Amino acid sequence: MPEPSDSRMEGAAIARPPELRITRVFDAPRQLVFEAWTKAEYLSRWFTPAPLTTHGCQLDFRPGGVFRLTMRTPDGVEFPMDARFTEIIPDERIVFAATVHGDLKILTTVTFAGTHDKTTLTVHQVYSHESDATRGANAGWTLTLNQLAAYLRG
Amino acid sequence: MTADHLTATFAALADPTRRAILTRLARGEANVTELARPFDMSQPAISKHLKVLERAGLISRGREAQSRPCRLSASRLKEATEWMERYRKFWEQSFDRLDDFLVDLKKEKSRAGTK
Repeated sequence: MPEPSDSRMEGAAIARPPELRITRVFDAPRQLVFEAWTKAEYLSRWFTPAPLTTHGCQLDFRPGGVFRLTMRTPDGVEFPMDARFTEIIPDERIVFAATVHGDLKILTTVTFAGTHDKTTLTVHQVYSHESDATRGANAGWTLTLNQLAAYLRG
Repeated sequence: MTADHLTATFAALADPTRRAILTRLARGEANVTELARPFDMSQPAISKHLKVLERAGLISRGREAQSRPCRLSASRLKEATEWMERYRKFWEQSFDRLDDFLVDLKKEKSRAGTK
């Protein structure tokens, strides 16, 4: 039987939308940190956590442009990512959206702040959509992320 | 947790009214009338939200006659939170690599600049 106190504890965390916010301070000027996101060649060198590797990174760095890559595990399992840039403000903000099977959307906002040689990078991800998923629609992208997360944890 | 579960949970949580309903239910069970009271919404509108929450496994509803009290089911919410926390690890590891990459990029830039 669930304890009422458990429900109350969970309740404290409930009133938030499903989102993730991660912040890190880098010892580099803002322009440089921003630049790391602007080229397929650069992203291929850091975006995918080891031991996974990046393959076929396509980057059309402008609003509406594609942001695609495939992450591959050492034993050949692939995790594709397919997104589109929705907003780009040089040295300040990059927003890209991944939509899969027309329902679940993951909106990622990357913000760059700071002066001189320190940059605060924030990645904010919102998981959203209406209706389709509640009808039990396919959620391939979620599955992909789920598998990837499990792999990284393992 | 299956992908469909996750998607349904995220969809349910995406709406502020549904989050408010969950917050209210965290204090204890309530029926539709009680849940509708703080909102400027009809009972059918609230019932629609409750259906979404129920389908997502975030609440369960009693079978007792008309009132059908709703109660919070915390486990699905916990699973969703845990899933997001694992995804956090993805970014933490990317950031570690970015840290190293920026050192390299800085060197490459200064080398190009002094040419």
